Amino acid sequence: MRRRLFVLAAAGLMAASGVAVAPAEAQRRPNEIVWGDQLPGGLDPHVIADVPMQFIQLNMYDELYRYQGNPPELVPWLASGHTVSPDGLTWTFTLRPGIKFHDGSDMTAEDVVYSFRRVLGLRRAPAAAFLPILDPSGITAVDARTVRFQLKAAYSPFLAAIPLVSIVNSRLVRANERNNDWGSAWLSSNAAGSGAYRFDPSTYRPQELVDMTRFREHFLGWSHNQRPIDVVRSRPILETTTRVNALLRGDIDATDSYLPTDMVERVSRSRGVRVARDESMRVMVLRINNRRPPLDNVHFRRCLSHAFNYMGFISGILKDYAVRNGGPIPKNLWGAPADLAGYDYNLDKARAECEQARAQGAPVTREIEIHIQTQLAQTTQAAELLQADLRRIGVNLKIVPNTWPTLTSSTARVETTPDMWVHWVSTYFVDPENWIGQMYDSQFHGTWKASSWYTNPRVDAMLREARVSTDQNRRRQLYEEASRIVVSEAADIWIYNTVQLRGLSQRVQGYQFSPVGSGGELRGVSLSN
Amino acid sequence: MLRFILRRLLLALPALFGLMVLTFIMLRVLPADPSAALAGENATPEQIAAIRAAFGFDLPIWKQFLIYFGQVMRADLGTSLFTNRPVAADIALRLPATIELTFAALIFATAVGIPLGTLAAVWHNSAFDHIVRIVTVAGLAVASFWFAIILQFTFSMEFDILPLRGRLETGIDPPPFFTGLYLIDSLVSLNFTTFLNAIEHLIMPAFTLSLGGLATIARFTRAGVLDTMQKDFVSYAKAAGYPERRIIWVYVLRNSVVAATTQIGLLFGALIAGAVAVEWIYDWPGIGSYAVQAIFTSDYKAILAVTLVVGLIYAFVNLAVDVVLALLDPRVAETL
Repeated sequence: MRRRLFVLAAAGLMAASGVAVAPAEAQRRPNEIVWGDQLPGGLDPHVIADVPMQFIQLNMYDELYRYQGNPPELVPWLASGHTVSPDGLTWTFTLRPGIKFHDGSDMTAEDVVYSFRRVLGLRRAPAAAFLPILDPSGITAVDARTVRFQLKAAYSPFLAAIPLVSIVNSRLVRANERNNDWGSAWLSSNAAGSGAYRFDPSTYRPQELVDMTRFREHFLGWSHNQRPIDVVRSRPILETTTRVNALLRGDIDATDSYLPTDMVERVSRSRGVRVARDESMRVMVLRINNRRPPLDNVHFRRCLSHAFNYMGFISGILKDYAVRNGGPIPKNLWGAPADLAGYDYNLDKARAECEQARAQGAPVTREIEIHIQTQLAQTTQAAELLQADLRRIGVNLKIVPNTWPTLTSSTARVETTPDMWVHWVSTYFVDPENWIGQMYDSQFHGTWKASSWYTNPRVDAMLREARVSTDQNRRRQLYEEASRIVVSEAADIWIYNTVQLRGLSQRVQGYQFSPVGSGGELRGVSLSN
Repeated sequence: MLRFILRRLLLALPALFGLMVLTFIMLRVLPADPSAALAGENATPEQIAAIRAAFGFDLPIWKQFLIYFGQVMRADLGTSLFTNRPVAADIALRLPATIELTFAALIFATAVGIPLGTLAAVWHNSAFDHIVRIVTVAGLAVASFWFAIILQFTFSMEFDILPLRGRLETGIDPPPFFTGLYLIDSLVSLNFTTFLNAIEHLIMPAFTLSLGGLATIARFTRAGVLDTMQKDFVSYAKAAGYPERRIIWVYVLRNSVVAATTQIGLLFGALIAGAVAVEWIYDWPGIGSYAVQAIFTSDYKAILAVTLVVGLIYAFVNLAVDVVLALLDPRVAETL
């Protein structure tokens, strides 16, 4: 009797549910995309500046200028244009007419002023590019559509950095300010933008779930895309294998853009999916602490530079999904010398350089430590490759597992900075200043970006002149010359420029990659049947 | 009994305080300081120092601890450096997922482990017993992340009969919030589609997580039953003509599961720890995956809060186990 009751109950349950064992795609509407890339910790674009946040910025918000395409071109976005004074100190931007926020209100110059002041006031990640050159009082609304920035010092990369700041709805954010927090607690779980997609706060779960719907009143309209996506569901998947499996099953339409080589091959072999391969601007670099003996000896650093098997790493391990980059600036960006080949892998040359270092009294037999980032397999692979070759020339390299926060905080002082460590320098604003400027100007010592503690007064002078010069040709010349010097002095070991690899469902059409945002802008994307 | 429960609760307080001190010191003596990451890629040393001062990372550790302790006493677990939201809100959002997964694993491990161990003891040295022993050793030895991937490839990718990841299919809304446990909430709201979908999603993660516990429970039960079967009262019961099924499943088992029950309490802590890997692979949005992200970002308030919450749950479950033991064995109750 009991068993019969159970069966009846189960049958009733199944009938009531319509037999819920439905495949994933059946649950989704045809114009709905599921994006499997990472999400930022919170949603406030003025608090966080990382690659996942760019997805939020590019879809929920707009900026005065925005990068488009590859190589990235800086195009007027909310602004119809700008002027700059001959001394490079006064920048004036004019807003386009008729821009609406998601709540239907008009965007004015006051919103731009508030957004930039908010960035400076919060002093978090996006502020770093502006704090040294901009005071809140230097940002003013000339009229409803004109904003003026009065810089404290000339700063040529200013325009390049403008896309870092999303323009927020000042009335909405102000209404949610608590205890002088600039509305930060509220905006971490909400949105106040004008972007092509409108955030749905009712379904939001931090780092787990973001839903967006198309904003039909977006100021650029939708005439460029005949079949735009109506619903965007962001579902970040933590583990790479699970993420790729989800793509193959049709659970998601896009993975992250850093697929490991084995996964690229797996996706490439599968039906209904593909891998988008795009050269980005993200340089992998093995940092060398230039102040620690024997690494303070230029011959020893050259010895290390010749001991790395660049093409073995790029072709053998990365299956050529990377492009050799011999210097600090991505080779597809202006300022990188076209003729700069970088070091070659040659153990005879490495041995000879090590001998010279030894002859000059450098303690070359000391064990050198290289710190890798535990969760990033490539950092281990690069370190192991270098370790094997250095052993052949009598240099002992020890690999130390570590994490990003520990490493970045350890670079605050020269004594705590590791002998060597591995990381990438990504694109946040497209200017050589983002790479060579902040990596090798000694005024940045104490930041993780300048963690080689490289000092050369001539290079300092060049980089500082390039930072304030308004003559593009002069800037190019200075960056090229500075690149040649830091490479000749083997300040670090530059390995490759990244080819970003994103798994996509075949139904995703119109995917456009840009190194800023890694192709996460969905305005132009549509879905085929 | 009430006095016993109160006494155990009071004893848990210093343990939790010790846990908090230990975790705080371990986290803060590490050189990991999230200031550089918070300040951003292009920050100058002065900007990083300003962030450090704003968050109090430049204060002596004892002072940082006192501030934190004061916050915890006011039931404030602080704000996450990573999500910029109250840590308590983040944990409240994620804890039910871990509880649901852990309890499902525990129930499965107990429901399968006890009969398996009992049968292995009854038929000891038989082929069945040998198989159970091999399987349980394998269950203890196998790495859960490896086992999870194998299950995913088999049941999601190859046969396509179980979902790959998450708690619900994309497009199915979570049930209205009552407990945060989707199985219960969907039943309460009579949403059977969601209920069945939630069950489907729970099967593989719960099975993966249960494996180690199942093996432990089966082995302890087997040993307990074997031992009890040698006792005189079993011989008397047999001589008195009681049916063998009744002797084993009622009298022997009741006297044998004390050790296994203690293990269940201890297992709960192990399961929560094991949930970290399982949640990561199955993309299960619980506090395990939250803790991993907190570790990668040095979000120390989130790490501390997760440790405290897990400690609290652990203390509570062990208290519950002691109460169950007392109910199972009247001699234990007399000592309370």
